[in-house]
Amino acid sequence: MNQADLSANQIETASPPAPVSRVSSRAWRRWVDSSARVVITFGGWATIVSIFGIFAYLFIEVAPLFDAASWTESASVHVAPVDAAEPETIAVGIDEYMEVGYVLRKSDIAFYALPAGTPVPLDPSVLSGAERSRRMPDFEDGEIAALARSPGKTHTYGLGTKTGRVIPFYVSFRVTFDDDVRNVEPVVSSGEPFEAVPTPVGPEPFDYAQDRHSGAKSKDAHIARLAYRETDSGPIAAALTGSGRLFLTKMQESEAGGLFALETETELLQVEVIDEGVAALSVLLLDDLGETLLGGTKDGRLLYWDIQDIRNPRLMGMYSAGTAITALSYLIGDRSIVVGTERGTVSVWMPVIDPDVGGDPRLQKIRDFASHDGAVTAISPSLRDKGFLTTGASGGVAVHHSTSGQTLIQIPGNGAAIRAAMFAPKTDGAVVLDDSGRLIAYDIENEHPESTFSSLFFPVLYEGYEEPHHIWQSTGGSDAFEPKFGLWPIMFGTVKGTIYAMLLATPLAVLGAIYTAMFMRPNIRAVVKPVVETMAAFPTVVLGFLAGLWFAPLLEQIFPAVVAMFLLLPLAVALVCIGWQFLPSRLKGQSGNVTELVAFVLVLVGTVWFCLQLNHQIETWLFDSDYKGWLQSSFGLAYDQRNALVIAFAMGMAVIPTIFSISEDSLSNVPPHLIAGSLALGATPWQTLTKLVIISASPGVFSALMIGLGRVVGETMIVLMATGNTPVMDMNLFNGFRTLSANIAVEMPEAPHGGTLYRLLFLAGLLLFVFTSIVNTLAEIVRQRLRARYSQF
Amino acid sequence: MPDRIKKFLDSGALFIWFCGTAVAASLLMVGGVLLLIMINGLGFFWPHALVEMTLSDGTRVLGELKSEEVIPYSETPEFPKGKTRVRLKVGNRDLYGLDFRWVDTDRIASADSPKDAVAFERREWGNFYGRIREVSRGEDIVATGNQEGWQALQPLIGRANDLHEEIEHLQRDVIGDINYEIEGTRLRIRELELHGRSQTPEVTELQAATKQLESRYHKHVETLRALSRQLDEYSVVLVETNGSEKRLAVGQIVKALRPNDMSLIEKILRYFINFWSVLSEEPREANTEGGIFPAIFGTVMMVLIMSVAVVPFGVLAAFYLREYARQGLIVRVIRIAVNNLAGVPSIVFGVFGLGFFVYAVGGTIDNLFYPEALPTPTFGTGGILWASFTLALLTVPVVIVSTEEGLSAVPQEYREGSLALGATKFESMLRVILPSALPGILTGLILAVARATGEVAPLMLTGVVKLAPALPLDHHFPFLHFERKFMHLGFHIFDVGFQSPNVEAAKPMVYVTTLILVMVVIGLNLSAVALRNYMQKKFKASAV
Repeated sequence: MNQADLSANQIETASPPAPVSRVSSRAWRRWVDSSARVVITFGGWATIVSIFGIFAYLFIEVAPLFDAASWTESASVHVAPVDAAEPETIAVGIDEYMEVGYVLRKSDIAFYALPAGTPVPLDPSVLSGAERSRRMPDFEDGEIAALARSPGKTHTYGLGTKTGRVIPFYVSFRVTFDDDVRNVEPVVSSGEPFEAVPTPVGPEPFDYAQDRHSGAKSKDAHIARLAYRETDSGPIAAALTGSGRLFLTKMQESEAGGLFALETETELLQVEVIDEGVAALSVLLLDDLGETLLGGTKDGRLLYWDIQDIRNPRLMGMYSAGTAITALSYLIGDRSIVVGTERGTVSVWMPVIDPDVGGDPRLQKIRDFASHDGAVTAISPSLRDKGFLTTGASGGVAVHHSTSGQTLIQIPGNGAAIRAAMFAPKTDGAVVLDDSGRLIAYDIENEHPESTFSSLFFPVLYEGYEEPHHIWQSTGGSDAFEPKFGLWPIMFGTVKGTIYAMLLATPLAVLGAIYTAMFMRPNIRAVVKPVVETMAAFPTVVLGFLAGLWFAPLLEQIFPAVVAMFLLLPLAVALVCIGWQFLPSRLKGQSGNVTELVAFVLVLVGTVWFCLQLNHQIETWLFDSDYKGWLQSSFGLAYDQRNALVIAFAMGMAVIPTIFSISEDSLSNVPPHLIAGSLALGATPWQTLTKLVIISASPGVFSALMIGLGRVVGETMIVLMATGNTPVMDMNLFNGFRTLSANIAVEMPEAPHGGTLYRLLFLAGLLLFVFTSIVNTLAEIVRQRLRARYSQF
Repeated sequence: MPDRIKKFLDSGALFIWFCGTAVAASLLMVGGVLLLIMINGLGFFWPHALVEMTLSDGTRVLGELKSEEVIPYSETPEFPKGKTRVRLKVGNRDLYGLDFRWVDTDRIASADSPKDAVAFERREWGNFYGRIREVSRGEDIVATGNQEGWQALQPLIGRANDLHEEIEHLQRDVIGDINYEIEGTRLRIRELELHGRSQTPEVTELQAATKQLESRYHKHVETLRALSRQLDEYSVVLVETNGSEKRLAVGQIVKALRPNDMSLIEKILRYFINFWSVLSEEPREANTEGGIFPAIFGTVMMVLIMSVAVVPFGVLAAFYLREYARQGLIVRVIRIAVNNLAGVPSIVFGVFGLGFFVYAVGGTIDNLFYPEALPTPTFGTGGILWASFTLALLTVPVVIVSTEEGLSAVPQEYREGSLALGATKFESMLRVILPSALPGILTGLILAVARATGEVAPLMLTGVVKLAPALPLDHHFPFLHFERKFMHLGFHIFDVGFQSPNVEAAKPMVYVTTLILVMVVIGLNLSAVALRNYMQKKFKASAV
């Protein structure tokens, strides 16, 4: 301290002490001191803990993705036991809040409040007069012989009678709120019955011209198996009679009448399906467009008809499923087919059209799932995703998910065969009815069935594809869309962007750092270094904007010139450098001075200008006057305006100052006496550089590259703005890609809180976090060791 | 000779030249980008001259000359070097469909800059370039002809702008207040209902109050209508250079200029007026025109809240690490962790902010304190508070590292001297170390602010919007509305540049925003550098 400071201090202490200091006793001061220590320690630790808390929190949000599904039995209600002849006529169901379950059997439906099991009466007052009379189907001639469920938001059934008629029947739930208390009321109604089997049924194939509408109903019209579906153009039914005849019926609704009187007219289209194997049919299935009919036989065959022209059903194929097929169902979207057999095997099949041959789709088994001990008795698809529920004759209940190929839950059951089942509308539960007459409801915890390690990181065979692919396509138009959560394409995009950006940035930054640290005059360095570091302060949104809206369109025009720059620049530098040697040193001055820097700038600007002037000529010489066509025809590469090359420049710019600054620090921190020693022993500056400086500073350069890498990997705005954000997988320098970070920015605002997509985006964040942490830790450790080594000298 | 080549190669001159070129390239990149932003951003405010061209087919074009270029693939025998073409901003989007037009140079028969051409800035459809045919009030013609109309128009535009201000005041302040009160009463009623007191006299009272407010609201809406009618009172018929007419209410015109008739002084004056109006006005036309005031305000507010959050934590942690903790393995691990945090991509902080602050903390606050507003979230959605906290987390390593630097620069003698004179550790921290480390803390804060100002990705998840209905600060209690969404300069760039339907017309606005953002960020960084240098010098001098 100098004299002036001292005197100033003396003046301060000479002033009379404030009264406060007299009051503050020694104990008080000690108390303040120790409590300050506590506060600072606590604050310090709180900050540090919160840093680690980020990692923990990301992990907590991701963990449920890989949680196993769980189940609990939530209710068990005794209803009348099931007799063996009955199974075809039984159905169970539940509302979306899992508060009311029902059993539909014969001509009767009973509702039960869950979990208590008390019967819920159908309140006639909820229906108006005309509706009330139609509330329950009118069974004039006998009870239900077969029953078919038409999957969808409402509980829709086709009830097949012993006289060959099909009665549409609907169960729905009316939800009302009274003082914030939810009230679920069941409502049933039925539709217009129609004849699904022509009567009488003669021994010969049915002749529609002659036999229609003649004679009385016969015993042969008895419907043994039924498939029923309500399509947009009217209901459609496939009925197998007790005598093994298959009839296909469609109530075609067509708009009739004049321009002003729009009326719908129904027309009954009916045909008998005569093909080999019909008599052996045990299960039938129709799709929601009414275009295909599937049948499973007792001898284990799968029959596949094209019924687009309902009058002319055509058997497209016959496939073997091994043993007798006991259950069939579509998954949501009516593309994938679940097949259950007598031996208890469960498999998913998919129609595949060979792109080379075209023509009819071919059914192909794509996945097997865990088997049941006995025959598969029922399959119920989820209404929300590609999951489904299967039940077995041994009482087992299992929940599977098609896309991820996993069986999520296996409930052993108590041995009594399960006859009917339904997956709850929100897939958070199930209701089943077993032979002993118990109606059991399960709560199912199954939040993220579609994500497994293999479905995220390995190719998956998605609906509508020929073979397994890596695809990221998280949202589609409808519920039936199969979300494709392959993380590879976006991880690939991240790697692609990183590689190209680092390829451009590394040489520029490291070479620049070498020159600045080793050859530049200190007074110039004092200006140059902060200027380059200013680049680090550029908000990346600015770089992204310039890259996307200024550089990308520009690059599209001057692409040939840019290619020429990469080729000509080294040549020009070499030529000028050789010429420089012959210049008198009077002109050059000392090495590393402003003259030299100006020379570099001039060479650079000159070459760039030269290339730009010759842009069109270069395009003519090198690329046949059209570089896009040339790229396409020579290498099969498409050129997009916003591409990886643009990203390389923009991200390169973002990361050059980081790498430059840290490398320069480590290069210029090489102990000066080492350099002096090397020079004193007669080494040239060049030898000193290559043999000493670069080698001893290489850990610092390495850590600079690592830190730069960490920055590039997670950069968001530049890639968001200057690539097309398409998750494609190729290394083409001239098209776009999507990175983990941009993917988060694009999809997070639309991801519902707590959903699979939301958690997957957290997983993407966690991956970035972990990767950058590893890279940065590595860099930091290397740097600390380097610092320790330098301090030894 | 081969000897000479060998010597040349051994000298490494070639390699040194490559290194030097790399430095030159980096410098050029910085300079080029800065220059690009400056030219495009600063040029925006200048009242550009209008050019009127007569083309070879007799049609005419009037507009601002923007650029000239060689037409790609146009080498012909007559034009061996390739033909050129010029790009004009012709405005009149409602008549032409596009704001810009390319004109081949060889089609231009003559070009001049008429003094009587007028550039109108309009509230809708962008600029209009042309002349005035007549000014009328209802059916009565007030003035005809370009010159007479120009003179008649000046006071009318001033009046219309006053009217707009009045309307805005009415909408924003008066009617806005009433809406705010109505919403408040609605929530109060809902709250009482939730507590099972829906039949109390208080509710009836509140309902009566709502009725009253609504009637007041309707009265003001009437006034508003009357004012809007006044805007349409005067109209002007404009004619574009080829003679097509366009009738326009005077209320649609923001300002009318005759750039070719302005002196240099007038232009410079106009330049600064334009500059100020961009800084101080509300945006128009989906942010592509008007000003960026709400974005600047939002950015500043967010940065301020962030600073309040980040400084105490950063400084406490740095003091703990440097002054209180025992130096050892744990502290080393913590330092590495802090460094790592600085390297974590900003979008990851956004994800964390959304999950933790918005959904977890915000959702809980809503359930506890704002149940009456549910299911509309109050704090359970992105807002300025959560965005600021997220950025505080993002920048806390910067403050820690910088404060530590400041602390380590304080000579050990200061501590020892203070303790030797009988001060407790805390007292010497507070009176001696903290003041000495203040420049370091300040540097950290400035760097943190600079980083936060330019950061966009995490904000996109935690509460930034393209157009915020209200500023986060107003005259309603409690004045600071932490739950509100806000606008931000960086997001403004992203949104206007990439999400607006007419990107070409929006570009100048983006450049202006970019310029302001870059100036602020670089200014902050330079001041941090200066402060750091000052600190180093100070301790170097005193340590000797």
